[in-house]
Amino acid sequence: MSQMNPAKIFLAAFLVNNIILMRFIGLCPFFGVSTSLNTSAGMSAAVLFVMLLAAWVSWILYHTLLVPLGLIFLRTAVFILVIAALVQFVEMFLKRYIRNLYSAMGIYLPLITTNCAILGVTFLNIDYRFNILQATIFALGTACGFALAIILFAAIRERLEDAPISPAFKGYPIAFIGAALVSLAFMGFIALFGIS
Amino acid sequence: MSNKKPSRLAYLTSGIVKENPTLILMIGLCPTLATTVSARDGLGMGLAASFVLIGSNVVVSAVRKLVPDSVRIPIFIIIISTFVTIVDYLMQAYQPGLYRVLGVFVPLIVVNCIILGRAEAFAYKHGIFDSLLDGLGKSIGFTLVLFIMGTIREIVGNGTFFGQAVTPAWYRSAPMLFAIFPPGAFFLIGLLKALVNKTKLGGNK
Amino acid sequence: MKESKLWVVISLFITCCIAAFALSQVYAITKPKIDYQRQVAGLHTALAAVMPEANRFEPVNDDSTVWRAYADDQHIGTVIRAAKQGYGGLVPVAAGIDLEGKIVAIRVASSAEGLKETPGLGLKATEEKFREQFKGKTLSELRLKKDGGTIEAITGATITSRAVTDAIRETMEKYQDIIIIKGNE
Repeated sequence: MSQMNPAKIFLAAFLVNNIILMRFIGLCPFFGVSTSLNTSAGMSAAVLFVMLLAAWVSWILYHTLLVPLGLIFLRTAVFILVIAALVQFVEMFLKRYIRNLYSAMGIYLPLITTNCAILGVTFLNIDYRFNILQATIFALGTACGFALAIILFAAIRERLEDAPISPAFKGYPIAFIGAALVSLAFMGFIALFGIS
Repeated sequence: MSNKKPSRLAYLTSGIVKENPTLILMIGLCPTLATTVSARDGLGMGLAASFVLIGSNVVVSAVRKLVPDSVRIPIFIIIISTFVTIVDYLMQAYQPGLYRVLGVFVPLIVVNCIILGRAEAFAYKHGIFDSLLDGLGKSIGFTLVLFIMGTIREIVGNGTFFGQAVTPAWYRSAPMLFAIFPPGAFFLIGLLKALVNKTKLGGNK
Repeated sequence: MKESKLWVVISLFITCCIAAFALSQVYAITKPKIDYQRQVAGLHTALAAVMPEANRFEPVNDDSTVWRAYADDQHIGTVIRAAKQGYGGLVPVAAGIDLEGKIVAIRVASSAEGLKETPGLGLKATEEKFREQFKGKTLSELRLKKDGGTIEAITGATITSRAVTDAIRETMEKYQDIIIIKGNE
């Protein structure tokens, strides 16, 4: 993947290998937050911000510290701690300077720490042997893919609220089946522009 | 003392059905959908996560009196990521085929909501043996769902079980590929959850 | 006491140290096995490249030069690995051969893998155009045209072309009995 040009990397992350609908990474917030369009949009913005920062910090730490010192085995621990710290920092920053956004986000902010998507991106940046520029584009594409999936889905779910659904299927089951259909649609992007 | 015994067993059994992490508590979804393309993969993922869950539950419980409240989350994270890294390297060395299939989901065990959730909600407040039972119960519940999903998806989508053919050749030449692709995973877990809702396995909701 | 600022810092520090130590030990213990697995996987990829239908390989001799190729349980051919001195160094090749002794595909190591032939000349041996000539060839045809066989050498890179062809032929000759199972040559 490190041979691909920037546009392809972005498209691959955004559509073809959509992090939620094709890779299944980031599902907890996906189902938890997508009940309303507003929270979905807010969550997406937070994810974009944290994902970019996390991608940079983790990439830099990995290549300038862990690799030269032969400490690759600390990768998992370091990356997750970086994310936890970043989220903490973002929370404090929002609480101090953008109060209303902070209260709107509520519980979702600390939830980003366990968002598999952010940690997933930091790992994939290493596994795909990206340089810092490619890593940035990949993080950007992934965050946009996350936003697309969650906002699309929130729109569907808001409609599902009023639809007549049998009791066993109400709530999660019909949400999953809805996700199945959206994922099916996204499968149409496979082999887009020759990206696999 | 005779009051404690039944509740102890409950720690173990509740994790399997009543408080099944994936189908009742609705956590730990990512690996459940991504790694269940075959029964073997689902089982492998379940066992790896179980190792981490049980290990971290025991260690967190063992040091709970020493860990300050203010930094408990970072310390939990360090403990959990240690176990995850251990299972990561063990798998690379002894089960490279499984490691290749599970890919990024092995290190992602560290953010599996189940593990951090149990450390915070249970292990930090209970004794070692009880935490062990809790971890074991949730592990069995989690692995069971992974195994069931993996089995269904493999049989329907590939006609095999653990790589062995279990359907007639005409089916295997054109199986329902939908089951092994992402939409199939979403669809199946939707059905499973509807089934659970219908049979009210998790108690009246 | 548990919540004192000092203990907060110390407990974090101790946890990090124990974790780092435990992990460094696990890493050291598993590293040899992991490197071995990587090697096996790399080898498997190289073998599968010349015998695409196979999913399992069994070594036949001790120096990993000859492998039996299987698709599930069916023996479908053999893969040989050889190297002969070319222009700038050894030219490693691999060839997949079916049960009748006909070549399925060949592969020449790339310059990233250590091939030292001349770019634009000997290096062309890695290209599809040169390699696909070998498809379907049998032992008797395995010589350069100028040596009496049917392989067209790369213009200006006779030495490299000969190294590839002869490496395959000589190994095939040496292990004929293992390689050719069905029919006549």
